Amino acid sequence: MMQSSKLVMGRYVEASSWVHRLDPRAKLVAMLLFLAAVISAHSLVELSTITVIALLILASSGIPLSRYGRASKPLWPLMFFMFLFYVLFEQGGSPLFEIGSFHVSSEGVLLGLSAVWRMLLLVCFTSILTFTTTPIELNLGLEAVLKPLKFIGVSPQQWTMMITIALRFIPTIFEEADRILKAQASRGADINDLKLAAKGKMLLTLLVPIIVGAFRRAEDLVQAMESRGYVLDRARTSLRVLKWQRIDSLFLIGFGMLLIFTFVM
Amino acid sequence: MAAIIRFNQVGFQYPKRESMFADLSLHIEQGQWVTIVGPNGSGKSTLTKLMNGLLAPRSGTIQIGGVTLDGHTVSDIHRRVGYLFQNPDNQFIAATVQDDMAFGMENRCLSQEEMQRRINQVSVELGIQDWLHRHPSSLSGGQKQRVAIAGLLVLDPEVMIWDEATSMLDEQARREFMTRMRQLRVERRLTIVSVTHDAEEIMASDRVLVIKDGKLVAGLTPMELFVQGELLQECCLRPPFAVELSLELRRRGVDVDICRDEEELVNALWPSCPVKS
Repeated sequence: MMQSSKLVMGRYVEASSWVHRLDPRAKLVAMLLFLAAVISAHSLVELSTITVIALLILASSGIPLSRYGRASKPLWPLMFFMFLFYVLFEQGGSPLFEIGSFHVSSEGVLLGLSAVWRMLLLVCFTSILTFTTTPIELNLGLEAVLKPLKFIGVSPQQWTMMITIALRFIPTIFEEADRILKAQASRGADINDLKLAAKGKMLLTLLVPIIVGAFRRAEDLVQAMESRGYVLDRARTSLRVLKWQRIDSLFLIGFGMLLIFTFVM
Repeated sequence: MAAIIRFNQVGFQYPKRESMFADLSLHIEQGQWVTIVGPNGSGKSTLTKLMNGLLAPRSGTIQIGGVTLDGHTVSDIHRRVGYLFQNPDNQFIAATVQDDMAFGMENRCLSQEEMQRRINQVSVELGIQDWLHRHPSSLSGGQKQRVAIAGLLVLDPEVMIWDEATSMLDEQARREFMTRMRQLRVERRLTIVSVTHDAEEIMASDRVLVIKDGKLVAGLTPMELFVQGELLQECCLRPPFAVELSLELRRRGVDVDICRDEEELVNALWPSCPVKS
């Protein structure tokens, strides 16, 4: 049960801060503005301004900063590689020292550091979205933000319905997988005792019953949805209504100004 | 009493298969609890799916509360005829109980206040108010089926169909389900149509329709059904223990009425017992 509740909540961290209470639409759009600002920031002044603002918001989100740091962990190798690339191949500025036939310059080190810094900013700061917003809210926000796509023939309602169903069924399907694994173990095929290659093979045999089961579920689900009045792409209301407040506007304006600042500088 | 469900010479066929029903006519009266029984593959589920418009007949007409089922009315009929599926796991759509209860109402474009009002009312009625924020997969089988009923009741249906809705529940959950449904039926004046193999569930109903080879072969009371050994055998059914025992006692010459349940049987046998003084 622990596992399934974790899957449902995704990366959401419960706390009550003003960031948690922000409208998911405001957070989604603000993230895009932040992304643009980070990309267009070049000088040290711009980067440090963005950093200070980001840190202030992260610190007031009621979630320990180390948690954001951990969110960037999977990307550390990539950051290291990026840094190395700049250091070894960027030749401008004053030369510092040589490693074999590579000349390391001050410019290279600076560019490398700023690239890593920007990436860190992006990853940590965008984690705020998934850390402070429940998947259900995020889904609602996404539907609203994607609404303009209707004009090019994409239906945001279909997409969000798909996400809703995924959120609903992922734990169920994991439970089923767990049950099948236990059934196999009870007949003497315990996955924990196997070598890696055999483990892979066993997981493959697990896939068949799970996929077949998922299709059977889907058939039932379609009928259940239909008999409860769902019609594809027909207008529907929502139990959860997002409330746009003044703080949401202020939050967005703030990020808009940040973006303008990086353009002007 | 008026017929709430009426089939007039209904024909139905799944694509690329033999005809299921050729000329089926039946009616179900308002407020009745009707059980549909029959051998496997006789078309019980198909019949109930025709009743709420999940399947469309090839010929003939189906009327629900006087409204003929067609492409225009099917949406309204979905609301009036709630359908409870066998596997409670496969009928949840949303990630929390209250969002799931709201699903049908969202499709009907109800206002948020109205949805909240009905969720509150029905969740108290069914005693599920403490689970509103839980994920459906964290509930037990009986709890899931209760939430599924809640999702239908918020739409205020007139007819409730159960397609073997208790077959995946344990004994205690099944009993709870039955007690609750009896109560709901009285309070909300529901018509119930159930597909089941369970003798006690059949016994609780007012009328039994026996379907065989796409035909309605009998419409009778549960008691009438349970004394017809041949018909029971064809439908793979067994009478409830009390009925079986009273039949056996009568065969051995004990003068006793056929009793619905154990208590009734004990009371019937009691006076004829020799009392030692």
